[in-house]
Amino acid sequence: MSPGLSGYIVRRVLWAIPVLFLISIIVFFMLRLAPGDPVDAILGSRYQEDQARVLKEKYGYDKPVYVQYVKYLQNLAHGDLGVSTRHRDFTASEVIWPKVWVSTQVGLMAILITFGLGIPVGIYAAMARGTFLDPLTIGFWLALDAIPVYVLATLASWFFAVKLDLVNLSYRGVWSPNMIVPIMVMALPAVAGVARFMRASVIGVLGEDYIRTARAKGLRERTVVITHITRNALLPMVTVVGLTLPGIAFGSIFIETSFGIPGIARESLAAVLAPDYDVILALVLFGSALFVFANVVIDVIYGVIDPRVRVGANRGQ
Amino acid sequence: MGSEPGALAATEIVVFEDVQAPARFRTVRQVLKKKVAIIALAYLLLFYAGGLLAPVIAPYGLNDQQLSVEKRLQSPSTDHIFGTDRLGRDLFTRVLYSARTTIIFTVVITLSGGLFLGLGLGLLAGYRGGWIDTAIMRTGEVLSGMPTLLLMLAITAAFRARINGWSFWLEDHTFLGEDSKTLVKFLIISMATVPFAWLGSCRIVRSQVLAIREESYVQAAESMGASTGRILFKHILPGVMPLFLVGLTAGMAGIAGAEVALSYLGLGIDEPAASFGNLIGDVNGTRLFNDYPYLLIVGAGPVILFFFSWNLLGDALVDVFDRRQNQRG
Repeated sequence: MSPGLSGYIVRRVLWAIPVLFLISIIVFFMLRLAPGDPVDAILGSRYQEDQARVLKEKYGYDKPVYVQYVKYLQNLAHGDLGVSTRHRDFTASEVIWPKVWVSTQVGLMAILITFGLGIPVGIYAAMARGTFLDPLTIGFWLALDAIPVYVLATLASWFFAVKLDLVNLSYRGVWSPNMIVPIMVMALPAVAGVARFMRASVIGVLGEDYIRTARAKGLRERTVVITHITRNALLPMVTVVGLTLPGIAFGSIFIETSFGIPGIARESLAAVLAPDYDVILALVLFGSALFVFANVVIDVIYGVIDPRVRVGANRGQ
Repeated sequence: MGSEPGALAATEIVVFEDVQAPARFRTVRQVLKKKVAIIALAYLLLFYAGGLLAPVIAPYGLNDQQLSVEKRLQSPSTDHIFGTDRLGRDLFTRVLYSARTTIIFTVVITLSGGLFLGLGLGLLAGYRGGWIDTAIMRTGEVLSGMPTLLLMLAITAAFRARINGWSFWLEDHTFLGEDSKTLVKFLIISMATVPFAWLGSCRIVRSQVLAIREESYVQAAESMGASTGRILFKHILPGVMPLFLVGLTAGMAGIAGAEVALSYLGLGIDEPAASFGNLIGDVNGTRLFNDYPYLLIVGAGPVILFFFSWNLLGDALVDVFDRRQNQRG
């Protein structure tokens, strides 16, 4: 690691602090200033004023917004993400982390399938360019991708659980075979995007001089495809993978609601609608931190695999 | 790909100067040679025509209900070619009006988010570098850092509480009348979508520009003293275009999908206005599908084909661009 690179990483990570700070301010004030608050959610539409006052005092909502924000930051500095109002008096951490873990496991399995299928499919289609196999392959995955997840979930559950009566779809933990259908419904539509991106990338590489050179040298086709084409074509994929990874921690609202998976996406939908201030804020901050981290990693990896891209270098013109 | 500096400069994707009129239509002609693209285009034409002409074509009123048992949940027939839903409303009519919703929404978001912000900022950030790049990408990071759907939900949920206030004001003070409530809902989902609609294409464009600006033909042009505008639009843009178009066309389905998804969750365009989101939400369900399969097929089918067609068209376009570049090299 060159000194320039490590300096670059440090700068990027230091950048993350004001970014996260800004995000927390925006979301905090947006939540507080929007109509409707957790007290309404707890008490319902009709309640007595003094009941509301007690609750507002308890959660600190009676104080001015900026005082609440400072208090929130103080707690955050101690690693306290606040309390959930929707799950009365559980801390936000207690609500969030177990569910994030469930969603992450599901998402990880799905993403492995997506890229594991998408990359070879893309290479295959690119190499089959000019024949009917190329549009047929890509077209098949695109058709699957065009179906909204909530429709696909219905169709898949109907086909496998009702028509064929093969599977039971009730949730029995992440690692139960009941999860095969939900994970497939999550993973397979995304194959098209990866495959198409990979195909475009491979085709871009195919026109390069070094491919012609490799072929002219008489290298076996297998070697050309794997070491010359695939390795170079994978470069733009780094962005795709890097930007997809943090998202898996947040699960899919439609998958989780359709199949009754107790993941974080369902929780976040409920938290937004309630509203549940501290849970929303904790999720947003956690997500933002993950994404900032992923961005740094992408830039660094770019520099490592393609020395032509000089990380952080300002071009003197 | 051509390695000499002049090779890409002749590409006719450039819209700004030196465009030979006949060459511009070559893209169109080459795309039209593909059967798949023609089918996709034909369907999109049908979809757009149906949506735009919805008030003229629609055989029934958007909210005409027929609640008697034999009129509800009718299978497709000559009277109701798409059948009727649980409230006895004609599904063909609702599909047409849903298409209209989709069209308006995608046009607004593509112009503002994809084209203007995505391509423009991506080129700027990638080529200029320095503090401009930092500012754009940090802004992007702030936005993409936030879990998108969660934020879209938060924004819509927060603003929806004010729908009535705003739309009553519009009703009283403008010519919009009863349409104002739908308009306000449109505004809200647009506000929730635009901040996130430019990020993908901006990032793709920027990363392409980063790679291309290191190519020898760009450096040759620079050394010959070509202006920034010329380098950007004549040398870099053509190389960026294929992937940008993949992004934009793939984004088209995504943008339309965002509205459908928000409406499906009841946070976008909701009844009595028509959207594929609330249409699908109304007919979705394993049991309902088992008993009345046509409901979901007819409700979701048109918009699925819409997504599919855009994606196929994007693929065809990319192929044409790539092939032309290969021929030249």
